[in-house]
Amino acid sequence: MPSLNQPSSPVSRRDFLRSGARIAGMTGAGALLGLMAQRAGAVTHVWQIDPAKCVRCGRCATDCVLEQSAVKCVHTHAICGYCELCTGYFEPEPNALNTGAENQLCPTAAIIRKFIEDPYYEYVIDEQLCIGCGKCVEGCNRFGNGSLYLQVRHDRCVNCNECSIARVCAGDAFRRVPVDHPYLLKTSH
Amino acid sequence: MNSPAHSSRCSRRRFLLRGAAGTAAAVVAGRQRGRTAGSGDTNPYAYSVGVHEKTDPALVKYVERRRIDLPWKEARRLAVTPQGNLLVAAGQRLGEVTPDGSAVREVPMAAPLRCVAVAADGTIYAGFRAHLEVFEADGKRRATWEKSPERSWFTGIAVTDDAVFAADAGARVILRHDLAGQVTARIGERDKDRDIPGFVLPSPYLDVEWHPDGLLRVNNPGRHRVEFYTPDGALEFAWGRPTMAIEGFSGCCNPVNLAVLSDGRLVTCEKGLPRVKVYSAHGDFECVVAGTEMFPENAQAGAGDGFGDGTRASLDAVVGPEDRIYILDTVTAQIHVMERKPTANS
Ligand code: SF4
Ligand code: SF4
Ligand code: SF4
Repeated sequence: MPSLNQPSSPVSRRDFLRSGARIAGMTGAGALLGLMAQRAGAVTHVWQIDPAKCVRCGRCATDCVLEQSAVKCVHTHAICGYCELCTGYFEPEPNALNTGAENQLCPTAAIIRKFIEDPYYEYVIDEQLCIGCGKCVEGCNRFGNGSLYLQVRHDRCVNCNECSIARVCAGDAFRRVPVDHPYLLKTSH
Repeated sequence: MNSPAHSSRCSRRRFLLRGAAGTAAAVVAGRQRGRTAGSGDTNPYAYSVGVHEKTDPALVKYVERRRIDLPWKEARRLAVTPQGNLLVAAGQRLGEVTPDGSAVREVPMAAPLRCVAVAADGTIYAGFRAHLEVFEADGKRRATWEKSPERSWFTGIAVTDDAVFAADAGARVILRHDLAGQVTARIGERDKDRDIPGFVLPSPYLDVEWHPDGLLRVNNPGRHRVEFYTPDGALEFAWGRPTMAIEGFSGCCNPVNLAVLSDGRLVTCEKGLPRVKVYSAHGDFECVVAGTEMFPENAQAGAGDGFGDGTRASLDAVVGPEDRIYILDTVTAQIHVMERKPTANS
């Protein structure tokens, strides 16, 4: 079920459409990847994380062969609560609900908080900064709607034969998925 | 005495429950492993609220007398009958158990039941996603009220002698009905002129309780507070503040459910840090009924572990005879029967 907290202003409706487009974009990128792979006649499956199995162990940040992990946090805005006190964004006991660095949970400040309309805020992941640590994912999953989760981003992943994160994944959450459907996106809680 | 005196003998389908409990335990074990794993043995990026999972024993003024294993694993909300039995909204059925945990009956429902309340004469009001139904005390359907035209999502009901208040989390409003089912007032909607900020509901948890002092109690989880309304919809006062600390409401959106003690004090239920507490009607934190330690599976359950419809691991509470508090854990489908600890001179 989509979140009940969907703000009603035209601005936010536009934002919803855009967030839908973002997810469609990821799926589209997958289709493109699939097409290219088929042409190259090689890759048929890629690695992906099952969000229902991930236990946010931190290894996605520490065990990828790439210097900065190919795993990133993604956000399904349609199930987000647009919470003022987002437990994915804020430290468990923030001094204030503002963007002060000391209040942010993310170790690299990779979440952008944007006011939509009173009292709703949108949270967007800056993938350049995200290291895939899953800290925000745990905060959102523990208290919120679970709209933040981790995915292997295929514009970065080099599709190792044996994914080095999969080998140590505490949730046994990595699996091979068809290259033309490379993402396991959440559409409901 | 900290452990339940005995477990009930709700025998039917017990083996199924045991299987479910085993699965839940495995999932929880996995989650706990995850939280302490990482390169090396600890997760450098762990999200920790551990300090708040431990309750100061001096604050706990209740003791668990009994734990009832319900035979209905989709148990979601509770109500108390005039005889002191417990009604359980559980998937497509309304269950009834005695306070000692014996299953009395099971009434099949046409759709998933989301909330339930009982009038003093035994009439049962049942909330479905977008409409209410009325049942005789014996479980026979008396009426089906008109389906709400709004994006409704009924999550709580309170009944008085002449009105039925239904909490509609989808439309973010408390609807007052007369006993024939006509909507006679809308309560709690954002209204600048009446100084009403409106409900903020990141997920479908809106509850309403009535007390003979004449005021409705309604949770506003996104604002971390409880609001008190007259039956006509005037907001009299509100209290509550966000904090993981025991005296406040934790996470993005709490409390999720409410109950009222006979003298008007309030029982609050939280999710994320599952805990049940008592506040004075004016918001002074009084004591803990049950801390997070009592609900380990619930505390480890995540947003995806609910009913797959936006609701999730949570707690519900009702107050029975002698102000006994019954807490439903929706993850374990258990009812914790809580009684006030005897004081030194009682
Ligand atoms: S806690 Fe989760 S559901 Fe709530 S605003 Fe943050 S990301 Fe969205
Ligand atoms: S397959 Fe290789 S690059 Fe991709 S996530 Fe796993 S370790 Fe990183
Ligand atoms: S290694 Fe597995 S459990 Fe750990 S954060 Fe990554 S996907 Fe989740």
